[in-house]
Amino acid sequence: MKFSSIRYLTEQGIENIWKNRMMAFASFCVLLVSLLLIGGSILAYENINSVVGGVEEQNEIIVYMEDGTPEEKLKQTETLISAIPNVGQVQFRSKDEEYLSLKERMGEYDVLFDALGDDNPLIDSFRVKVQDISQMNKTISQIQQLENVMQINAPYEFVSFLIQLRVLLTWVMGTLIAAMIIVSVVIISNTTRTSVYARREEIHIMKYVGATDAFIHVPFFIEGMVTGFLAGCGALVITWLVYTTVVDIIQNQVVVMNIIGIGSIIPFHQIYFPTVFAYLFGGALVGAIGSAFSTRKYINV
Amino acid sequence: MKDVSVTYSSGVDALEHIHLKINDGDFAFVVGASGAGKSTLIRLLLKEIDATSGVITVNGYQLNTLKKKQIPELRRTIGIVFQDFRLISTMTVYENIAFVMRVIDSPVKLIRKRVPYVMSLVGLQDKANAYPNELSGGEMQRVAIARALVNDPKLIIADEPTGNIDPELSYEIVELLRTINMQGTTVLMVTHDHELVKRFGGRIINITGGQVVYDDIMEGTADEI
Repeated sequence: MKFSSIRYLTEQGIENIWKNRMMAFASFCVLLVSLLLIGGSILAYENINSVVGGVEEQNEIIVYMEDGTPEEKLKQTETLISAIPNVGQVQFRSKDEEYLSLKERMGEYDVLFDALGDDNPLIDSFRVKVQDISQMNKTISQIQQLENVMQINAPYEFVSFLIQLRVLLTWVMGTLIAAMIIVSVVIISNTTRTSVYARREEIHIMKYVGATDAFIHVPFFIEGMVTGFLAGCGALVITWLVYTTVVDIIQNQVVVMNIIGIGSIIPFHQIYFPTVFAYLFGGALVGAIGSAFSTRKYINV
Repeated sequence: MKDVSVTYSSGVDALEHIHLKINDGDFAFVVGASGAGKSTLIRLLLKEIDATSGVITVNGYQLNTLKKKQIPELRRTIGIVFQDFRLISTMTVYENIAFVMRVIDSPVKLIRKRVPYVMSLVGLQDKANAYPNELSGGEMQRVAIARALVNDPKLIIADEPTGNIDPELSYEIVELLRTINMQGTTVLMVTHDHELVKRFGGRIINITGGQVVYDDIMEGTADEI
């Protein structure tokens, strides 16, 4: 195919949007709504996931060491804990530090501390943060095998709840997103089919005058791609406006932010590029493929 | 066409053992009642359907062995005119005709030269920017003829081209097709308008019950006038 023909077909595809503006508008609206539904679901999932992840990060394992463990052994243990694959962060808390901290926090109970005299009843410990809480039990058993480890405290029940919540969330949101995609594909395919059906006569004429399949496909393909791209632009603008507004509202709710953790809500600038790419590329791709598939049916003349 | 038969999947024998030779430069009327097999004949020539048996050669293309991707090539050597015009409603007269040249990758310069020429041949030079819905039936059929003619085909198949227009305009259309034929293009015109056939005469092929029952030259009454 000559370059002039490709240019002509591209122009035809763009012109056809205007010439068949009612059907093009219907396709645009369907694509826009579909992209918003899918995009919105994915963004909601990502944020809920981030909130759960934030809550997870706040959980830590406390590893108590045997009283009187020499400093060298403590340093060795810290190195060994840090070397465990699932361990994210290890912080040593000496019994002296803990004692001072406790005294500060319980300033009104001076009498109790006076009674203890110079004795420090606390023991050295490590605060360990795990990367993947679903692997926490395995990590604990690995730490337990280390020398001089006396006891490990971990929020087992809460972690178990978080794991279940994440599994549930993945299933619910995954099903919802899959359903949205299926519904969208069905609606888009029907809309493009209706649009192409309205122009089946045009396709037949093209075939009778000797047009190749590619010659017939290209304008429809371009038309679908441009319509999809425009729908992607629309969905992007709407998402940006709604998302930033919702994030602003949530971030102004101090109580809510305290529960879910500051930084758990993903700011738009952080997801700007993937969102722009997904909407524009996704819209253009779905529009183009939808048109191409719908045209195929009427091309066998 | 040598011993061509077409049996549809429903079991209907649309054409039976047809032997037909249309020579270059012929002008032939194909007549017959509805359901006689005229449309099947056209569909065969356009390779829209395949013959159940027999051999068909159109403009040098052996249709029995023609590959699917070669069909556009074959169709570019044929100009087709339909009863219902089949113009693209969203394109102007000029665009409807130029579009056919676009299909075969004709250079833009040639399109700009050839389309106005063909439009003048069919008397539509003033209607270049009109849309099909702004034209009369006769004008629409002229556009369809111009479209069939623009790529300079070896053969023009006109399927009931006068079916949707007034008798007076019908004569004009046939006259136009005969003028095109005189310039060397083979024309095959399918019609069930016996008056028209009688008036113009020429080669008459009568298909009845899927068989060629008459194939001869008849003198037209218009010649007597």
